[in-house]
Order: sequence, then structure tokens, then C-alpha cells
Amino acid sequence: MSYKVRLQTFEGPFDLLVYLIENAQMSIYDIKISEITSQYLAYIQTMQETDVYVASEFMVLASALIEIKSKMILPRMVDAGDGGVVEEDPRTELVQRLLEYKRFKQAAEILAEQEERCSHIYEKPQEDISAYLEEPDEYLRLDLAQFAAAFNLFIQKKQKVDSVRKHYTRIERERARMEERISYIAGVLKKSIGQFFSFKEFIHNKKDRYDVVVTFVSLLEMAKNRIVHVEQSSTYGDIQVSAGQNVDGTVSLDIPSAGLPDGYEEELMGKKKQEVPGGK
Amino acid sequence: MASKKSMKSAFESMMFVWGEPLDVKAAADVFDITKQEAYDLFKELQEEYEQEGRGIVIREINKTFQFVTREENADYIERLCTPVKARRLSQSALEVLAIVAYKQPVTKGEIEAIRGIKCDRVMEGLMKKDLVCEKGRSEAVGRPILYGTTDTFLKNFGFSSLKELPPIDDVEGVMAVDADLVEAEDEDPVAAGQIKFEF
Repeated sequence: MSYKVRLQTFEGPFDLLVYLIENAQMSIYDIKISEITSQYLAYIQTMQETDVYVASEFMVLASALIEIKSKMILPRMVDAGDGGVVEEDPRTELVQRLLEYKRFKQAAEILAEQEERCSHIYEKPQEDISAYLEEPDEYLRLDLAQFAAAFNLFIQKKQKVDSVRKHYTRIERERARMEERISYIAGVLKKSIGQFFSFKEFIHNKKDRYDVVVTFVSLLEMAKNRIVHVEQSSTYGDIQVSAGQNVDGTVSLDIPSAGLPDGYEEELMGKKKQEVPGGK
Repeated sequence: MASKKSMKSAFESMMFVWGEPLDVKAAADVFDITKQEAYDLFKELQEEYEQEGRGIVIREINKTFQFVTREENADYIERLCTPVKARRLSQSALEVLAIVAYKQPVTKGEIEAIRGIKCDRVMEGLMKKDLVCEKGRSEAVGRPILYGTTDTFLKNFGFSSLKELPPIDDVEGVMAVDADLVEAEDEDPVAAGQIKFEF
């Protein structure tokens, strides 16, 4: 209910009542209920006449005023219980509420003054101090606008990189291939038939998992074609490699031309070689 | 332990970098001193600035400290640049805010009882401005939400803590005026008579 728009002068029924009482220069402790009630009702009447919707809260107070007014003409002596009589003023409660309201109205004025004073004080908003912070967590405390800005920046960078990429092709360094490894192993074995070699001897770079895998797959391929003879005495043990019966023969190797077969690489690179098939 | 002077100097630098109100606890942790010790140092620093009448004032907000400009210099700052003036709160918003500030924690029902009018909208606006916030729930029937003021409220209204709110319990000022009026009326037999007639 937006009473505020319709009643620009008064913030609520109490505001109006306080105004009427003060305007009539009445004591808040001795409100002339009759006079105030008629003024209050007259005001509501005017509001209605000027086609203003009167908020129900104003009506509630109006009825409360009328109730008090009617009680005022009744005898006000109340039996206090101990034989004596106490004069009860029906206005008491209203006065208490008005006083309470006035207190906060006064507090609101104080606050307004304070607000006015503080509007003359300027503070510096916190600047971007992320440069001084090591924790990347700080970035997560961005507000939405900053976050959006960061994302836009990222998109712009990506677009730039993409446009550059369009004109250039990335060339990967060629890595060891199976054919080369097979011919290398075959060459070594041919020179020393009957001699046993360790699997590890054929690996060029023992730290490069890819190299290990290429050598291993090459050996498997060669064993299949009987170019080599492989033996492994125990699980995880070293593999003994020696020349096979076809070592001199020109066996056409049925392997893909570009390194390892598709998927082979990732599959083998991912896991550790767990079991080496026994020699054939 | 670092000397008092060097710690104060460090706090000064820290406030400068931080910009936002700097928590006394954070400052105390840097030197591994108690909060109270750090607080006292901040107070000393504040006093020094005050005595020298510097253009920068150290403002305290609920155990945090911040550099702000001196109030009297507002005109000059405004001549240098035109800061956007925050819109003032409306009369009803101020009334509701005052009730929350002085009676917190308080329910909407209690606020409405005092003002005799609903306050949902006003409260919504105050929450949006981060001047009031929820402070839990009352044990009363329906477990209504309790509201209280925020540090933003202290900052925007220039209080360093809630204890600084000027007392309003003495409506003496209002009462005194009323008492005079009563006497004045009593002296006037017609006015006094009117009262008699009315009831």
C-alpha cells in the first residue's frame, strides 16, 4: 500500500495526529479529544473529497479517537480493587503511543542532521589492491560487474589469439616413430645375433614415457613378426631381447605410418605399464 | 616488539593502502599485539590527526578505522570535483531507521505499532541500502524476523558505535514545552473552562 504517494505531508496517522495536536497548541498530556477528533475526521474528509484514497491505517486511528471520545463522556471512576477508586483516563494509552512516536520522530530528526553532516565527509573507495595480494582467492571476491569485465577481457584476448592463429600453423616437433625404432632395434640385433639385450637398452630417453611406450610397442610388433625373441622371467621383471628367426628377412610391417595407432598413445601414456606379456 | 611510534606509523600506512575501514583485529594481528593495544594506538593516532587539524580525519566505525576527509573541507572538494550526492532518506525511512537503531533488535510488528502504519516497503528500501539487516528471529509467536542496523548505518550517520547514538529517552524537551503550555492554559480560565466543558 503506497500511502506515501497519496499523502505527501504525513507519513502516517500518528504523524497527522501529532501535527494536529501541535498545530492546536495542545498539551500532549491533555488532548482535547473532541476537538482533535473532529479535526482529524475533517482532514480525512478532505482527503476523500480530493479523491485521495485514504489508507486504512488512518481510519483505524480515526475509530480509536472516536472510541476515546465516547469513553470520555462516560464516568471514569474505576474500582481499584482495594476499595479505593482510581480515575482512569481513556487517553492514557493514546498519549503513551503518541509520546513513543514523538520520541522516534525526534530521533529521526537527529539522524537526518547526522546524515547531512556526514554527506560532507568523503572517503576513498577501496582501490584495486589485488596487485599486493598473493592469494588468487581475491579474484573470486569480485562483484558481478568486475567479473563480467574480466570475462570480456578474456574473450577479447582469445579473439586476438584466434585471429593470429588463423594465419599461422602450429608445427609440433616430430617425436620418435615406430618404424624408426623398429629399424633401429633390428639393426642392433642384426649385428650381434645370439646376444641378449635388455629392453631398457633400446630406450633412448628413459624419463620420457612416450619413448618407453614407443619402444615397447615396437618390440611387440617385432615379436609378432618374429623379428625378435622376447623373454620375461618374472612379472615386472626385465625383458630379454634377442634376434628372432626373421631378423634378416624383409617382412613388411603392418603398422600405421604416423607413430602409434590412434588412441594408443593416450591409452598407454595414461597408465603405467603394469604387465608385460611374456615372451613369445 | 616494535616501538609504539613505528606501529602507529605502520597502522597509518595500512589505513592508507586499505581504503575501506581497517579492522583493529587485522592490524593487531600484524604486530601480534592485543586488540585493545591496537585500538589504543589507533585512538592516539586519531587524536594526533585531530590536534594538528589535518585535512584527513581518522574515523572509527565499530572497531574499524578509516581515513576520511575533514567535514569542513567539503566545499573545496566539491569545487575540485562534483561528487554524486547520495539521495537523502525520506522522512518515513528516517523514522523507521530511528526505531530500528534505538530499539534493535526489533520486529516489523513493533515498528508498525509505534508508527501506526505498515513499514514493509520502507524496510525493503533500508535493507537494499544496507542500513538495516536481519539479526535473527524473535522467540515470540510466529518467530518474526528481528532487525538491526549495519556498519554502513554507523558510517553513513557518523557514529563510531551504537553507544554513540544520542539518548532520546528524555523527551524532557518535548515535555517541558508541553508543561508550559498546560500552565498557560491553566492561567486562562476560558481555556481551562473549555477543557471542562468538553469532557
